Amino acid sequence: MSSLVLILLTVVLCAGILIGGLLAVVLNSMVSAVISAGLASLFASVVYVVLAAPDVAMTEASIGSGLTTMIFLYAIRKTQGTESDPETDNGDSE
Amino acid sequence: MTDFGMTETTIIISSVLIFFSIVFGIVRLVIGPDTVDRVVAIDLLTIVTIALIALLAHQAERYIYLDVALVYGLLSFLGVLAVARYLEKGF
Repeated sequence: MSSLVLILLTVVLCAGILIGGLLAVVLNSMVSAVISAGLASLFASVVYVVLAAPDVAMTEASIGSGLTTMIFLYAIRKTQGTESDPETDNGDSE
Repeated sequence: MTDFGMTETTIIISSVLIFFSIVFGIVRLVIGPDTVDRVVAIDLLTIVTIALIALLAHQAERYIYLDVALVYGLLSFLGVLAVARYLEKGF
């Protein structure tokens, strides 16, 4: 019973990784795309924990979810905004 | 299978709650019309993930997994703070 719940949670986490990667490609707003990439990294870290690799999960948590988000936000700040029109800063014109 | 103690019942109920929290958080992240909705959704998913890692640590009986949850507890705060500061006025 508990193993079945664990398998179901792992399937949901893998679907979340796919959805996060897809949203990071599809979305127009750059900040939303960075956050979606952070979602993919977050769930990948939990899958690493499920696969009994807590050191890899910790590295993925600190670098993938923490450091790359800040570095990407800094780069977006330097390059101003979205990919289509530069004046809307946080709008999502999908 | 049928003789559930209190610990097993609690773990199964919390697993179901974590499952639905992850599903609804992903739904909000997909359909969220604004960036702020997605920031709140990723914050929710991080907190639910911390609970899930603690649950996995209990189930696998390896309490070294709780360090991963500790790192997440620190980093989710910093990440959301960075995004909020960016959305307010830029770095």
